[in-house]
Amino acid sequence: MAVIPFRKLALRAAGAALLLAGAPAARSQGIALTFEQAVYADGADKDAKALKAPRGVACGETGGVVVADTGNGRLVRYALREGRLSGGTEIKLPQLTYPVSVELDSKGTILALDGKTRKLVRVAPNGTFQGVVEVRGASGTAVLPSSFAIDAADNLYVLDAATRRVLVLGPGGAMTRQVELPKEGVFTDVAVDASGTVYAVDAVGVAVWSAEKTAPAFKPLTKGMKDKMSFPSRILAKKGRLYLVDEHGMGIVVLGIDGSYQGRQLSLGWKEGFVYYPDQLCMTDAGQVFIADRDNNRVQYFTSVK
Amino acid sequence: MRTAPLLLVCALAAAAALPVAGAAGPNDARWKLRPGAQGKLCLDCHTGQFQDVLKKASVHTPVRTGDCVGCHNPHAAQHAKLLADDPSKTCFACHDVVPKAPKSTHKPISEKGCVSCHDPHASNFKFNLVKAQGDLCASCHKGIAEGAAKAKVKHGPLAKNGCGACHNPHGSAKATKLLSNEVPGLCVGCHKVDRPGFAAKHFNYPVAKSRCTSCHDPHGSNKKGMLYDRVHAPVAKGMCSQCHNPAGSPAALATRQQGVALCRGCHNQAVNGMMDKNQIHRPVAEGSCLSCHNPHASPAKGMLKGTQLQVCGTCHEDSIKRQTLSPTKHEPVKDGNCTACHEAHSSNQSLMFVKADMTEMCGACHDWLKHSSHPMGAKLTDPRNKNLHVDCLSCHRAHGTEYKHMMPYASTSDLCTKCHEKFSR
Repeated sequence: MAVIPFRKLALRAAGAALLLAGAPAARSQGIALTFEQAVYADGADKDAKALKAPRGVACGETGGVVVADTGNGRLVRYALREGRLSGGTEIKLPQLTYPVSVELDSKGTILALDGKTRKLVRVAPNGTFQGVVEVRGASGTAVLPSSFAIDAADNLYVLDAATRRVLVLGPGGAMTRQVELPKEGVFTDVAVDASGTVYAVDAVGVAVWSAEKTAPAFKPLTKGMKDKMSFPSRILAKKGRLYLVDEHGMGIVVLGIDGSYQGRQLSLGWKEGFVYYPDQLCMTDAGQVFIADRDNNRVQYFTSVK
Repeated sequence: MRTAPLLLVCALAAAAALPVAGAAGPNDARWKLRPGAQGKLCLDCHTGQFQDVLKKASVHTPVRTGDCVGCHNPHAAQHAKLLADDPSKTCFACHDVVPKAPKSTHKPISEKGCVSCHDPHASNFKFNLVKAQGDLCASCHKGIAEGAAKAKVKHGPLAKNGCGACHNPHGSAKATKLLSNEVPGLCVGCHKVDRPGFAAKHFNYPVAKSRCTSCHDPHGSNKKGMLYDRVHAPVAKGMCSQCHNPAGSPAALATRQQGVALCRGCHNQAVNGMMDKNQIHRPVAEGSCLSCHNPHASPAKGMLKGTQLQVCGTCHEDSIKRQTLSPTKHEPVKDGNCTACHEAHSSNQSLMFVKADMTEMCGACHDWLKHSSHPMGAKLTDPRNKNLHVDCLSCHRAHGTEYKHMMPYASTSDLCTKCHEKFSR
């Protein structure tokens, strides 16, 4: 893989997107990520504890960023002020020893998935344990969450590996509906957009499936995209686009909400601005992007530029 | 001055070739050959090679009848060896051997063409095969052929009639793997399921419609009953009801419990050990042991459903593919020994590595790197990233890259100057 000097990276990614878009009307689809900051520890002083294999990151609209510092078995909360991440408050709970995925609800409550217990844990903004999300009303065997998403109304979308479906839960955990996943495919993540359309990514089939707000089952949004990605394990729906984390391909692939390919961002590397086995990503309404750069033991902050 | 007649000759030759845009048929009258010229005319020039060809045991009909223009254009052609059409089309003009809607097609037909198995002129083997059938199949399917030859318990049809007893060498409209019928339909053609002995051997379980090859090796084995070499203990002991409902019950083949709950009956301690680690392999976390293991019998170590390349490749196709594109091959990946580096069930290490220390893990094979290598280890911080220390994966990607030595960059200097920036030009 040719590695591009970072200064050229954003320009090249934007250029590639423009070339792919082709028609002038489509050129505005191009998006580029510009590196801003890398965070390596839970503070700036010499006693700060280094991040270890962080797999999750969530960002709220009020300036809070929470990292699932998986290897250290904890959450770390940062503040985003004047375009810089600062602070680094450790949240370590016996009920959450291996956080792998994290989201923030509209009140600033942290929801984290424990990769060992497969339980969804609620953590108050002040870092205290608030309880486990008990799924109520789901039929069949016990729910085994493998990932989850949250919408603006704090509804949870839980990818249930046990029954191959996405459970839509109200903020209190009561199931309001379920969306069947196809029988084939290995689904690793789920996302929801502002209109309520739910997306699920098949990392092995390299395809995205979607279900409109009231649909009972997923339908294919894209065909297999093995020519564009290796192993997309995470998906985010934000601001009219889908962002897929190509975990093994070391990059971020951008799709239109209709599944159209819009370009690829970032590449393999160890220096800042590059990624090594990226994991969860989040984006604020202002276009600030945070990526859990797992095997680089850090979280990176980018701004997105059209 | 000489070009004009030459062009004329070419034009005439091209005009003569026009009627045979497709494959020429046998005894094609369009060539308007002089009486008695057919075939004989060709042999006037193609003497030596064809004297021997015609003496062989199996001579292709057009060759025997002297119908060379059945396949070749005597003037000019778009295809090698003056074939009148694409080689596969030439053969298929007479030999309609591949089903119209095949469930499986033999790879050589789609990739290399008929001549990879057949000699288009003549051979000493039946069907113009380039080798005796068994040897020919074994030239690609070496593992199966060697296993069958060594097996103490032979499968009669294979021993007597060769691979063709069960497989159609061209394609099958009915079944996968070129089988002339799907299993168990193929097997029950010989093994009568209504005989008392059949039921007794299967402990009275209604297996007549079950997939025979989930327990039995159709190519022969070293186990009684031609079971695969590795047999799950309850099967070996005939204790099917340990996992399944009693033989006489309405749903006898259903298992007593689902997924890992059933396996925990015997393997509880092992499963607990798996669950105690931080990173749990997805099928384990989902309690889906049968994603990777065969519950009855298997030719593979660990009762896997196939080789590690096959089983792991079901989900990790992209990682395995990376190796195939790499100029430098990493032996464990090439040989399908995924568990040399990765734990199959769970691990506390990144990427489910078997060891936390890369120098230790890689050094298990690359022993020299422990004493003679670039400085590495926990005390040496990676200049590119203060949260990493230098180890083997700082410079190599174990599944390969498009560059030699499994490096992530095109040249050694590109790689080294990422850290040693002062040498960058």
